Amino acid sequence: MSIVLAKDLTKKYGDFVAVDHISFEIEKGEIYGLLGPNGAGKTTTIKMLTGLTPITEGDAIIAGISVKKKPREVKKRIGWISSEVILDDELTAWENLEIQAKLLGVKDWQERADQLLEYFGIKEFKNRKAGKFSTGMRKKLEVSMALLHSPEIIFMDEPTIGLDVNTRASLWNLIRQINKDYQVTILLTTHYMEEADMLCNRISIINRGKIIAQGTPEELKEKYGGDVIEIELKEIRDGVLSDLESVGKLIKSENKKIAIKVGNAEEVLLKVIGIVGQNNIKSLKINKSSLDTVFLNLTGGSLEENEEFDARRFYAMLRRARR
Amino acid sequence: MIEGLEALYMREVKRIYRSIYMWIMIISQPVMWLVFFGSSLSGLPKEVLISFFHTTNYIAFILPGELSVSMLFVGMFSSMSLIQDKRFGYMKRIFITPVPKYYVFLAKVFGGITRGLLQVPILIGTAVVMGVPLNINLISILTILLSLTFLGMGFSSLYAMFTIRTSDWQAPGVIANLLNLPLMFSSTALFPRAFFPSWLSDISDVNPITYSAELGREVLLSGDPNWSYLGYLAIFGLIMLILGSYLTNKYMQAE
Repeated sequence: MSIVLAKDLTKKYGDFVAVDHISFEIEKGEIYGLLGPNGAGKTTTIKMLTGLTPITEGDAIIAGISVKKKPREVKKRIGWISSEVILDDELTAWENLEIQAKLLGVKDWQERADQLLEYFGIKEFKNRKAGKFSTGMRKKLEVSMALLHSPEIIFMDEPTIGLDVNTRASLWNLIRQINKDYQVTILLTTHYMEEADMLCNRISIINRGKIIAQGTPEELKEKYGGDVIEIELKEIRDGVLSDLESVGKLIKSENKKIAIKVGNAEEVLLKVIGIVGQNNIKSLKINKSSLDTVFLNLTGGSLEENEEFDARRFYAMLRRARR
Repeated sequence: MIEGLEALYMREVKRIYRSIYMWIMIISQPVMWLVFFGSSLSGLPKEVLISFFHTTNYIAFILPGELSVSMLFVGMFSSMSLIQDKRFGYMKRIFITPVPKYYVFLAKVFGGITRGLLQVPILIGTAVVMGVPLNINLISILTILLSLTFLGMGFSSLYAMFTIRTSDWQAPGVIANLLNLPLMFSSTALFPRAFFPSWLSDISDVNPITYSAELGREVLLSGDPNWSYLGYLAIFGLIMLILGSYLTNKYMQAE
């Protein structure tokens, strides 16, 4: 049974098309990932699905209700976790939960709130101001707030951005845990390949507002994967590119940087070096088959190369670092 | 859903009473006006004071005026609070819940009014301590509170309306400069109409601060209020509140 059915979802800002006719379906109980670089349209998609911004074209049916026709009914059934933790730092954890419960119209919320705080191990701090919490505790409080009204789906917008490795790993566990224990469907956006690979049952890869591939991580790796050899040359001699195409599929060639998709990099490496000339190589990198290479194969660039400077996120990270 | 409005209003109130800086502002600003500005004309001959201000004590004259002007300044805090919620993302948190958008606006406006009304006992108490004879009874206090509520409703709404579509920190300061000084000086809050040139007098005749200041003087000093002034303030406050609620629902952006 599908909990989200997005059909031709489109968002335009004037002439700029931020999200371009994307369609996907999320099954109940899944962890579904929207994977793509910054500026790909992931956050805009979440904004449309949560009713934060009007849909230009298309529609999304969430828990059987049209976002376009009945946004307020949809909002009663969804939870949301932002990329930057959004709490009222001047209020206690309990007061933050109280406001959330009242905004959502949840009656008798206290028992549920107590259970959630206990589940996340922060019950003893419930009367402490949220501003005094560590980043991990703040995330846990935010997840508690998202679960307070027993939503059918939680939208997580880049939930681990800016977190250190340990906090990120514990948040991954937490996401898996709540998906299992509270049987809540999760749609998360991320630009971390490993995050999508480890957490998501299925993924849509989104780039420049369009979905370019969909499937389970395994399906995507099988279909679009393969090792990628990236080489930076001192110069590109005549005939080198056509010779390389006899070894694998040339997926990128610009500014003396070449990327070739091959079956098994180790087997063809010597041949590739022979073609380009050993002394002509400035750098060489082998990317073993992963979602990273899927993205590379599909777009010709890595996620990092596709990332543009995002001032909003940069300042959000700075704010978090100052706490 | 009304509990959503209550929650947002209580959030505003808690943010006020938990901030030491807010209390410093609430207490010091009106007291400084009374003590320093109020004393500035104390050297005038009594005949001049009676002739122009209808009282021998200038502090008694500006007390109702300052009560009214303080409601003008709290409007600025409503718009600053709105911008803070946009900048820190809290507006998104609210907008992803099913409460109507205008609840945010109402919470800011009533939060601002509450903040302004906290200054009433401080100002009246300071005036009493400074030896100003006042006509204090239930009717006069209720009239003052009601007229200031309507005035605060109008100005908080006006300020919040100006910040519906912006998240620029500079906006409230700019609006304050454009609105506060002209509104304050074109009213009878600080000086009587007799001092004004005719064009300023015309503006003063429609300025809601004039109506609030005059009503305050009538209940606190002469004891003979013109109740139509309260009606004027009620119309001003309610029109601004309805207009602001409508505009918020239509145009308010989360960031």
